Amino acid sequence: MTDRTAHDTPVAASPQRQLLRTRVEAAASTYQEVDGWEQVSAHAAAHGDRVAIAPSLHAAQPALAASLEAHGCTAVVPGTDDPAADVADVPVAIVAGVLAVAETGSVLVSEHELADRVVTMLCKRLLQVVDAADVVDRLEDAAVWLAARGGRAGFASLMTGPSRTADIERSLTIGVQGPDEVDVFVLVGTDAATEESTT
Amino acid sequence: MSVIRSFGERYATALADPDVRAGLTAFQRGWRVSRDAAIAELEAQEGRSFDELRAELAAIKDGVLADWEPHLDTFTANATAAGAEVVRVATPGEANALITERMQAAGADLMVKGKSMVSEEMGLNSHLEAAGMTPVETDLGEWILQLAEETPSHLVMPAIHKRKEVIAELFERVLERPFPPDDIDRMVKAARTELRERFLASSVGLSGANALITEGGSILLVCNEGNNRMSVALPKLHVVTAGIEKLLPTYADAMKQVRLLGRSATGQPITIYTNFLTGPRPGQEQLIVLLDNGRTAMAEDPDVAAALRCIRCGACADVCPPYGVVGGHAFGHVYTGAIGLVNTSFHHGIEAAAGPQSLCVSCGACATVCPVEIPLPVQILEIRENVARSGESGTAGRVTRLALRAFQHPTLVDLGLRAVGVATTPLRRDGVTALPSALTARGPLAERIGWRTPPAVPARPARDTLRHGRLEEPPRLAEQPLAGRKVQLFLQCVSDRMAPDIPIAAAKLLRAAGAQVTVPRDQHCCGLPAYDSGEQDTARSMVRQTMAALADGADVVTPASSCLAMIGHDAPYLLRGDVAEVERAQELAGRTYDLISYLTSGPGRLPAGSLDDGDRTPVTVHRFCQASNTLGRTDAIESFLRDVAGAPVVPLPEASECCGFGGSTSVRNPELSSGILDRKLGCVDRTEASVLITDNPGCILHLRGGVHASGREVEVLHLAEYLVRRLPGATSTDQER
Repeated sequence: MTDRTAHDTPVAASPQRQLLRTRVEAAASTYQEVDGWEQVSAHAAAHGDRVAIAPSLHAAQPALAASLEAHGCTAVVPGTDDPAADVADVPVAIVAGVLAVAETGSVLVSEHELADRVVTMLCKRLLQVVDAADVVDRLEDAAVWLAARGGRAGFASLMTGPSRTADIERSLTIGVQGPDEVDVFVLVGTDAATEESTT
Repeated sequence: MSVIRSFGERYATALADPDVRAGLTAFQRGWRVSRDAAIAELEAQEGRSFDELRAELAAIKDGVLADWEPHLDTFTANATAAGAEVVRVATPGEANALITERMQAAGADLMVKGKSMVSEEMGLNSHLEAAGMTPVETDLGEWILQLAEETPSHLVMPAIHKRKEVIAELFERVLERPFPPDDIDRMVKAARTELRERFLASSVGLSGANALITEGGSILLVCNEGNNRMSVALPKLHVVTAGIEKLLPTYADAMKQVRLLGRSATGQPITIYTNFLTGPRPGQEQLIVLLDNGRTAMAEDPDVAAALRCIRCGACADVCPPYGVVGGHAFGHVYTGAIGLVNTSFHHGIEAAAGPQSLCVSCGACATVCPVEIPLPVQILEIRENVARSGESGTAGRVTRLALRAFQHPTLVDLGLRAVGVATTPLRRDGVTALPSALTARGPLAERIGWRTPPAVPARPARDTLRHGRLEEPPRLAEQPLAGRKVQLFLQCVSDRMAPDIPIAAAKLLRAAGAQVTVPRDQHCCGLPAYDSGEQDTARSMVRQTMAALADGADVVTPASSCLAMIGHDAPYLLRGDVAEVERAQELAGRTYDLISYLTSGPGRLPAGSLDDGDRTPVTVHRFCQASNTLGRTDAIESFLRDVAGAPVVPLPEASECCGFGGSTSVRNPELSSGILDRKLGCVDRTEASVLITDNPGCILHLRGGVHASGREVEVLHLAEYLVRRLPGATSTDQER
């Protein structure tokens, strides 16, 4: 979606990614640009000994589970029978986003199956991973992706930070029914380009 | 089970709880700061004004509302293709029966609910409970209210009327463990633990819909807490309740709504979860219930159809002064805030709308923040007229109607008020009528009248003093921009009879600037009080009478900005049935000014420093709410005072907020009016200015009465009264009001 040459300059990020970073951090998430999945695994392992992987991500990145195990933690891929029970007590989860919107700092996650959805809903800490090539400027760019799906059944969620409420005296409290903490990872390394063809 | 009590009970309960007002005032102030910052950031990002952005969204909504059938057909076809079942129902009864039946068929007795105002409108919870089922609200605010057996008091912040101490007590009682009131995080986490069990156990989930997207048959569903995502994902049956007006043609249109919704609701650029649901997930059924319940009737009524654009952001409540005093249980029915004063009569009947609409002060603030440009103040007055016609306004309404009909007759008014003036002579002191303290200090009347000393009714109205040749020639300004220009002074009925110094000062000022001032004899009342009371026929007849009195083509200047709002803004609307009358009203509007606009942007533009007499006493300015909100005036008076009069102006916090006068509201609902006045005078106190200047006589009499009754040392002056003292060689009678 964006100019591939963006990958050639991972250190000096594009203005688009700088805006994304600003907006992601404003939404109380963290933002990191990484070369590959290995750094995502290391981050996940540092925050919990069990890490859930969305089944759709597991299918696209089968090596991720092994990478997590190598960091000494258990990778949990929920099954289809009772996926909520499989991940109910797993503190950390990893999901891949189809795109990220710089305007709002949102990651668009497509999660039609329940097994995918429980991963992003029930964890305490969620790692959202998106390819640098899939960073878009505006909400309308996400609308283009939604429209291109042509009315096929699905569930897509623009996620912008950890869950929050201000229902009691308008006092902001982070962490309600969804995750308390969200880390956004943008894959800028050269390996991301090759992996993209599989996702 | 929560039941909506009578309006009178709700109003009394809200007034009796001091926490309600304190909490809501803090909420409104906090919202204002966040929302304004978020909208300013959006304007910078988009390079377009809020007005342009909201006009764009309003046009998209109007495109659907003009004829929603084809959009509904397409939406239904697309959603059905994605596996959903779409059912249109006419009434809440049908919707409740359908949902209950499906739950029974699924063998379910527990429903987890995301926030849905339509389900509140339907009374779904009561219906399910009566059928032996258990609905569980999962939005934190809604859950708190369910535990407290209450209904939401705000569209977005349902429990905003409750203080944390009250919520902590409630949690202690229900969950049987201690909750320190300051530990909000503990309360939130408790809700998470309690509700997660319900999410996992429930086989039916319910959500509302922020939009129905025709293009893909998708539902837009936003939330911050993540509860909605769980209630639509986990259960085997997902029920959607939505109004049929929620259609948007495309995903791109939905994004435009998203941009304005979060910012208008909570000051967030976007909600945490902005979900697009297309059909059920594998292994799930999805039932989409589209409710009419009066929406078709609204769409067919050109006076209120635009209210169907509403995206339920709650902004209209967040700026509403009466809402800030009594909250949404009184200021609304199921739907709260200004929008509730319009749509309640269509969804719940005119009797449900009658009480809440009487609380509107017609300040116009709601229309300035509505992200879909609904002309709420005008629509509320349409509903007020419907209430008046229906007889639901009760004895107070009948008395108002008779009084306003009598008020149409200038001779009757003239004789009556002269008689009052003579009769109250012994009580007249410094512009007020000093009532015996036995009446105002205690006893049954004290609360209703003690907070505001009534104005004096002088024996001689302004029109007598201003009769040709009676007024002594005022000193002239060195530069006279109005030299040789004829100006018709429109006195305003209230000033003429109760504050004659105001039009007299205006006349002197205009003459000092060179004008040849005339006072047309047949002038009486512009019709605003009648329009404001829902008596539109009476208002129209007074507008016509005013147009006839001012038919001479010369400029019309009034010291009352409210009359300008009527003549310049409302009159063409009221006469919209007759093209020729509208043209005449517009012709008059084109040459009518209030004093400040005449002296700043109009022909009477005064040079800088021309009224500077060297007095540097700090002053502050209350901006008449309708001048700000309806006429779009910003800091004209402040700039004028600084530049032309040389006065140091201390900015008044919340300067454009209503003072609580609100025409008939302060008479009908004095407790409400005094609450708004308290907030205004509190802001005046913070400026430490000893002179408060404004330019609407109704506000002035109200503010003077409040200042007098509270023993404050603040002089409340009309702009003209203040300026006339600064004329070169002003006489001592000008110095003392």
